[in-house]
Amino acid sequence: MATTPEELASHKKAYTAIGIALLVLTCVTVAFGFWHPFGPVMTWRDITLGLLIAIVKSSMVALIFMHLNHERGLIYKILLFTFCFFLGLMLLIFFAHADPIREAFDAIRNSLG
Amino acid sequence: MEIPYEVTARRDTGLYNAKIGVWLFLASEVMLFGGLFSAYVFLRVGTQPGIDNPWPMGLNVQILMAGFVNTLVLILSSVFVVFAWVALKERKWNVFRNWMIGVLACSALFMVIKAYEYNSKLTQHHDIKLLDNSILGGKILEGTDKIRFDADSVVVDFSGSAPGFMNQVESDENIEFKIETGENAGKTVKLSELRSWYHKEHVRMMREVADMRMKQRKGEWVDGTDKNPETKATLSAKPFRINANPRKIAGRDEETLNFRDRTVIKGKLVDDTIKMEVHSLNLQMVPLQDQENVMAWKLIHAATGGDEIKENVLAVRDEKVTYVRSHFPDGVIPVSVLQGPFINFRKIHDVPGGEAHGGDHHGEEPKAAHPGDHGSEESAEHGHGSHGDIVIEVPREQTSFVTNHGPRAGTYYAIYFTMTGLHGLHVVGGALVLAYFLLFGKRIFLKNPEHLANRVEVGGLFWHFVDLVWIFLFPIMYLM
Repeated sequence: MATTPEELASHKKAYTAIGIALLVLTCVTVAFGFWHPFGPVMTWRDITLGLLIAIVKSSMVALIFMHLNHERGLIYKILLFTFCFFLGLMLLIFFAHADPIREAFDAIRNSLG
Repeated sequence: MEIPYEVTARRDTGLYNAKIGVWLFLASEVMLFGGLFSAYVFLRVGTQPGIDNPWPMGLNVQILMAGFVNTLVLILSSVFVVFAWVALKERKWNVFRNWMIGVLACSALFMVIKAYEYNSKLTQHHDIKLLDNSILGGKILEGTDKIRFDADSVVVDFSGSAPGFMNQVESDENIEFKIETGENAGKTVKLSELRSWYHKEHVRMMREVADMRMKQRKGEWVDGTDKNPETKATLSAKPFRINANPRKIAGRDEETLNFRDRTVIKGKLVDDTIKMEVHSLNLQMVPLQDQENVMAWKLIHAATGGDEIKENVLAVRDEKVTYVRSHFPDGVIPVSVLQGPFINFRKIHDVPGGEAHGGDHHGEEPKAAHPGDHGSEESAEHGHGSHGDIVIEVPREQTSFVTNHGPRAGTYYAIYFTMTGLHGLHVVGGALVLAYFLLFGKRIFLKNPEHLANRVEVGGLFWHFVDLVWIFLFPIMYLM
């Protein structure tokens, strides 16, 4: 952890730069929201791009502001476990594709003509 | 007692204890929000076009500027927190204090903007879904979402729950009811006393029913001779106006209003027409070929006396279809796009003819509709509202769902309020912790500044996490 005045000064520069980068990337996200670079309507490509920008922004926050770029090993171990469980939660969405209730919806839709 | 490892690191972990503690806490927070993000994806992916209420595009229903400003505010607050921590490392209390005041100001601003957004959704924006699944968006004029009914008699059922109509009486006058039936016939009870009278009668009825059952069990009950407990009472009064909340009503006709709490009110229906300033029209649940004949056109025609808006909305839709088709090499538009908001959701002010009724919209120039134009966010969601918008009258029997933009409006709004509400609570919690350091940290600072620096670092880690969650919430709720 930074202790010397030089290190602290260098940290301040990094924090300012990251802050500006985050503000700029927020503007970029909004611009992409209006102007879909991949076609006339928002598709999965635009959504992926928006989420990629969010991942870059959150990585900046985590690495620099939360000091994860120079943290002790124990913290990384905790986060590794967290990441695995988080991934598990996100993969739950695949159940939506295998959900048989979809067939029931199709039946309703067909009956509605 | 001295608590160990508040300032110095433990040899085995290399960290002071609070830091391990906060990271473990943040790990649990990741799971909490992870579950909600997963739920969001579930709900969004699982929305059935044509059956479920359409999943709105954030840009069409959110106040983009509010979300955008809130994002900037949270990022700034994150920068301020790290600078406050650096100030403590440099042993500069005054500098720390200034940065921390900045953080708290940002958190207050964030919550004010959030409250403004919530208020706007709950009170200023409504959807009316008609029986043919066309959805009109706009603002319901005050009071017209209620069933207006002139009542002169009330039948109260003691086996139900306390009559709720009392809160929906228009008059401030303390109306006097005359009891027409039962042992208390001829007595009077005032509106303000009705609740306590009801509870007394409810208890009386329960006792009599219990006695009756006991007699029946013992074989002492004689049908036709023994008197059945009174479970209802009829009250009469001078005619008074009720503005009934339709969600409390089980059914009605021209002369009767049946409340869900089993109270029946007799009298005369005055009006059950909803008046709405129309801002948008959503035809996502109506097949393209049927869109010319939706009920919404008749309502708009009745309000404007012409079909200009209908013709222009459909013309813009056709333009959009042509525009989209040109982007697909074989000219075949995917169903998801064909049923999507780009083709089927239209802000009335964005089509020619719609702005003619708009009157003064804060000097905004009418926007020409063209493909790719999302229009003004504020004009629809934020609503410059009551400035001569088209006001339509919708008979309630033509509606299938009337709602504000609260959680009941659909799964999108439900998950929006859940996630942003929980995030807002985190902002408040984090701000309270940081405010504590600001207000009561001086003593620790004077004793051992490194101790306070460690505390602020831990509080700051939580604050950055709150920022990090918002970084994902903003695009998925406001833009996609």
